[in-house]
Amino acid sequence: MKYDPIPLPAEDLQRIEDLERMLERERKAREQAEAIAERGLRELYDSQVRLALLQRITDHANRSNNFAEVVDAALKEICGHMDWDFGNAYRIDRELDAAIACDTWYAIDSDQLFALIERSRHATFNRGNGLPGRVLRDAHPHWIDDFGTDTCYVHRAEAITCNMASACAFPILLGEELVGVIEFFSRKPMVDKDAILLTITQAVTQLARVVERERASAALLHDALHDAMTGLPNRVLLDERSRLAFERLPMGREGLAVMVIDLDGFKGINDKHGHHAGDMVLVEVASRFKSTITTFQRGETEGDGPITFAPWHATLARVGGDEFVVVLDALPDQTIVTDLAHRMIAALKPTIRIENEQVSVGASIGIAHSGSDYVDVEQIRRDADLAMYEAKSSGHGGVIVFSEALGCEARNRMALERELRDAIRDRQFVLHYQPIFSLDKSQRLRGFEALIRWNHPTRGMIDPGTFIPAAEESGLIVFIGDWVLRQGCTAMARLHERLANRYSREDLPFVSINIAPQQFLQPNFAAHVQRVLIETGVPPECLRLEVTEGVAIIDSERTRQVLEEIRAWGVRTSLDDFGTGYSSLSYLQNLPFDTLKIDRSFISSMDDPKSRKIIRAIMDLAGNLNLSVVAEGIETPEQGNALIEMGCEYGQGFHLGRPLDEASAFALIPFDEAA
Amino acid sequence: MKGVIFNLLEEAVIREHGLSAWTGLLGMTGLEGAWSSLGSYPDAEIIALVDAASVALGVPPQQVLQWFGRSAIPLLAKRYEAFFTPHASARHFLLGVNQIIHPEVRKLYAGSACPRFHFHDLDDGRLCVAYRSPRKLCHLAHGFIAGAADHYGETIEIDHLSCMLDGLPTCRIALQWMN
Repeated sequence: MKYDPIPLPAEDLQRIEDLERMLERERKAREQAEAIAERGLRELYDSQVRLALLQRITDHANRSNNFAEVVDAALKEICGHMDWDFGNAYRIDRELDAAIACDTWYAIDSDQLFALIERSRHATFNRGNGLPGRVLRDAHPHWIDDFGTDTCYVHRAEAITCNMASACAFPILLGEELVGVIEFFSRKPMVDKDAILLTITQAVTQLARVVERERASAALLHDALHDAMTGLPNRVLLDERSRLAFERLPMGREGLAVMVIDLDGFKGINDKHGHHAGDMVLVEVASRFKSTITTFQRGETEGDGPITFAPWHATLARVGGDEFVVVLDALPDQTIVTDLAHRMIAALKPTIRIENEQVSVGASIGIAHSGSDYVDVEQIRRDADLAMYEAKSSGHGGVIVFSEALGCEARNRMALERELRDAIRDRQFVLHYQPIFSLDKSQRLRGFEALIRWNHPTRGMIDPGTFIPAAEESGLIVFIGDWVLRQGCTAMARLHERLANRYSREDLPFVSINIAPQQFLQPNFAAHVQRVLIETGVPPECLRLEVTEGVAIIDSERTRQVLEEIRAWGVRTSLDDFGTGYSSLSYLQNLPFDTLKIDRSFISSMDDPKSRKIIRAIMDLAGNLNLSVVAEGIETPEQGNALIEMGCEYGQGFHLGRPLDEASAFALIPFDEAA
Repeated sequence: MKGVIFNLLEEAVIREHGLSAWTGLLGMTGLEGAWSSLGSYPDAEIIALVDAASVALGVPPQQVLQWFGRSAIPLLAKRYEAFFTPHASARHFLLGVNQIIHPEVRKLYAGSACPRFHFHDLDDGRLCVAYRSPRKLCHLAHGFIAGAADHYGETIEIDHLSCMLDGLPTCRIALQWMN
């Protein structure tokens, strides 16, 4: 294909040369145009693919709050996009200052990469070590361009075994904070670092968002499941853990225990020092309980011996104001629980310092153990509650383990309490009135002692002995007592109205009303009495309040103040059941009473000369202190006569008059008795 | 076939054999000869050019393809320098073909069909390149490999273990580095 050139005229040669130059310029222009177009197309394509990748990763990130799940998807997407062989994710452990692989990885061919995957998926890199450690140190991406030449890499041998040529690792940054690292390996070189950087940086932003949301939701969950003040699990978390622990119980359902703890004396601190102080006490108590449990669980490790943890688990929760619950499971031995309970009480022994004061609280602890009789953990919890109330009612805290007998008794008492509440609401109580007579020749009816009866809808009339103890224990006595006071005064006012104009004021019959210690020591008791007097219009001297020395034992100074206050208005006061209990003479000396009521036990045993001597002594004492005396429980004419002989002023009892309903009792008053 | 292949062929032929050789080929094939790197053209056109060159030069078409591939590498390197510079060796470059060069081609021409090379190590230590394409241009690949070796200053002994031209399903080319 070689030809000899044909000679051409010079101008033609010149023209050919010009045309060739022009052609060359055209060609260059075309190539440049093509290059420009190619560049544009390439960029467009790159950005489309990158955007599609980021969109997919963003979709994953939007769909889930689970970091591992989203990272898993992102590693797969990125490896697919970049044609990289292996991607692995790390979380940053700030305490250890290390990047710890979270077993979230993706490999195109896991079989071939087995060695590297196994070495990587649970790996921990300290600051500066390996690619993740370098990222942790510098918080910027790191690259290994060639495992053949980069000898620093920790898992280099595995990388080379698996034919990896290059690797890179990127920080997952949440604001300034490094929260994770993703690392990639490829058997090919990673060439276009700018493009890689652009893509991965945007992808990890999405991963960081998931970490942020994961944290926010974990914080919400934590808040929802924990008590904000003490940081302990709350009722919701406790219920969940208890339920799971119960479900895990073996046949026979043994090995779980619920401990209910109620603080003693906490309300007093709250009342006296304020809620802030109360809160501080709760925080301190929670912390002492927590460390007691941990210490106990750890056992008494001798010397430098290895620390061994007990096999059982405990969840301490704050479930109410000053109420804590510990649920223990996997217990090898029931005594552990009682032992722990006593340690927890002991932990409260040292006083708690609040600002400049030392305060102390105790605890009443009830324990119930699981067993085949229980069908759910709630029942165990209720029984532990019962045991706690039992411990509480002893008045000085302590530990009580639930037993069937205790449950029976407590359940009956609780049923009674429930009925008492209904009775208060439905006004099932009635007052009966027992006449009190002068024991002198006149034998005149001087007044009535108001006695409560419960007109039970199914059981009929019930005596107070059956329900007053339960009313006192439950605190319902305060409501019942107030009702009695008002009802007694209202009835007396009705009677006085009937007797108006026929009796002088000093001859009007009085009503004597029993006041329980709890009621008497209510802060507003005196004010309440005054209000009842004003509202019913009963003259104060026609109201007698009977208290036992129980009130004085609780708070004698306050008792004195209240008695003095109500006596100042003219109300009379009686010391009931005198001769039983302490019968402390100092009470008689310090407390302003008008009347002593000799306990019925002395009257019923009056045949015994000893009883007579006691009665005489009481009457001498009363005479010397200028107190009148009422003898209770006079059941026979002989008893009545004997008391008259001894000079007892007033008396009441079956022999003189039984307690009767209002109409029958008040009918005993001679209507036409002249003033 | 990408327009750039025609451009490269044109450039190689003109450089080695002169402009008139190229116009001669166009005359023999009756092709218009206006190909842009931005366009895609029927495979038959490149095959016609190769066949014409084979006739004109009196060598088998496979040899023309090998010559073309080898000659095209320096031209490609001039035109697309970025494909070559990141690689330190021909092996590195070849292993990156699927991941770098082919995606680049696809970026320009959405939907364009590119041959995919599969690389694996043979028991005797040689690198095997497996190739499967309806175009059956394994000898162009051979030429590109030789050109890559030239580019990186290496010598590779190229051995066709099996070939689609012989009716086999896959072309397998064994590469032995000689230095």
